[in-house]
Amino acid sequence: MKFLTTNFLKCSVKACDISNLNFPLEYDGSKCKLVQNEDIEFQPEFLLNILDRIDWPAILQVAADLGNTSLPSQKPELHTNMDELNEEELVILRDLHTLLLQTSITEGEMRCRNCGHVYYIKNSIPNLLLPPHLA
Amino acid sequence: MLPTPYIKCDYNKVYEPSEDSFLVLDSLEKDLVYLREKFKNRVTFVCELGPGSGIITTFMIQNEIPNRSNSLYFSVDINPWALDTTLTTAKLNGCSETNCYLECIQSDLTTSIRKRQVDILVFNPPYVPAVNVPEIPSSKENLDQWLDLALLGGKDGMVITQRVIDQLDDILSPTGVAYILFCARNKPEQIVSNIIETCDLWNIDLVKHRKAGWEVLSVYRFSRK
Ligand SMILES: C[S@@+](CC[C@H](N)C(=O)[O-])C[C@H]1O[C@@H](n2cnc3c(N)ncnc32)[C@H](O)[C@@H]1O
Ligand SMILES: [Zn+2]
Repeated sequence: MKFLTTNFLKCSVKACDISNLNFPLEYDGSKCKLVQNEDIEFQPEFLLNILDRIDWPAILQVAADLGNTSLPSQKPELHTNMDELNEEELVILRDLHTLLLQTSITEGEMRCRNCGHVYYIKNSIPNLLLPPHLA
Repeated sequence: MLPTPYIKCDYNKVYEPSEDSFLVLDSLEKDLVYLREKFKNRVTFVCELGPGSGIITTFMIQNEIPNRSNSLYFSVDINPWALDTTLTTAKLNGCSETNCYLECIQSDLTTSIRKRQVDILVFNPPYVPAVNVPEIPSSKENLDQWLDLALLGGKDGMVITQRVIDQLDDILSPTGVAYILFCARNKPEQIVSNIIETCDLWNIDLVKHRKAGWEVLSVYRFSRK
């Protein structure tokens, strides 16, 4: 699954919904296999729109789980109009493109920071299904 | 008429596209302009519950509903085979990692999706009335049991669909819409009037209905007021 998808997945356990620790999940950096697909084309406008709706602290947290601590601590504030984007802003968007869209976790595991339940990613497909006794 | 995906998969593992699937496609086609207008110039989070073969998600990507380069498509099924198959179907129709954002997730409905993110929800549910909703098979190899989950919807065929309707306010984004299929035995008119009476959140419209053999199928659109 793509890195960006981590921004939309939470723990499936219902009881964790009242905690604010159920999102983002905590990714195990030592067990996650990352793959980079350079063929995914850079579309600045798409990135700009994505930036608009992502939860930045969650991006930071998962990036740190996976060993990337180079992101700015605040969500970059860029011109919202494509034509006004300057060089520097394009570099930021390009970096985000590399992280959010070109990077996939093909195998790995992640756990809920509230209940500790561990979920797996196999063949790029995350499995968030709970065993019957937790569902 | 919009093109329909080419499908080649093992129907011992996933639900074979049928009249219900096609009615959903027709409903999305009918609402194409509405959806493009509503979600233009922004990222759209599209979530299909129960993609099965992947026909509906692939149709949406292929026909840019609501747009291709600005949408994130999430296909969520409980059946592990459905996820592999959805990816294969998408690829077979030219939708690949390099030209669209498609994520396949194994999950029980939207329990694993962050709240209030979904802009377009599409669900052709297990709607056949049955004594119970089947239990989740203990092994990936119990093919028949996975297929039962595609069909059987418990009392009135509404148990799974009702869970989604009850959660809809938590699932949909502030501008979200949902397309949900019903059969006549689900008593959709009664369900809709019930919702309208008890909660003031939704505009609910019949998008399409059709007689299919001995079934009468309908697709309703739920949008926030
Ligand atoms: C009627 S089939 C629809 C398949 C496909 N979308 C189509 O229209 O041809 C219902 C699908 O819902 C899935 N499903 C059933 N219960 C589910 C649940 N609790 N969570 C997620 N998916 C579920 C089944 O595995 C099946 O793929
Ligand atoms: Zn949890």
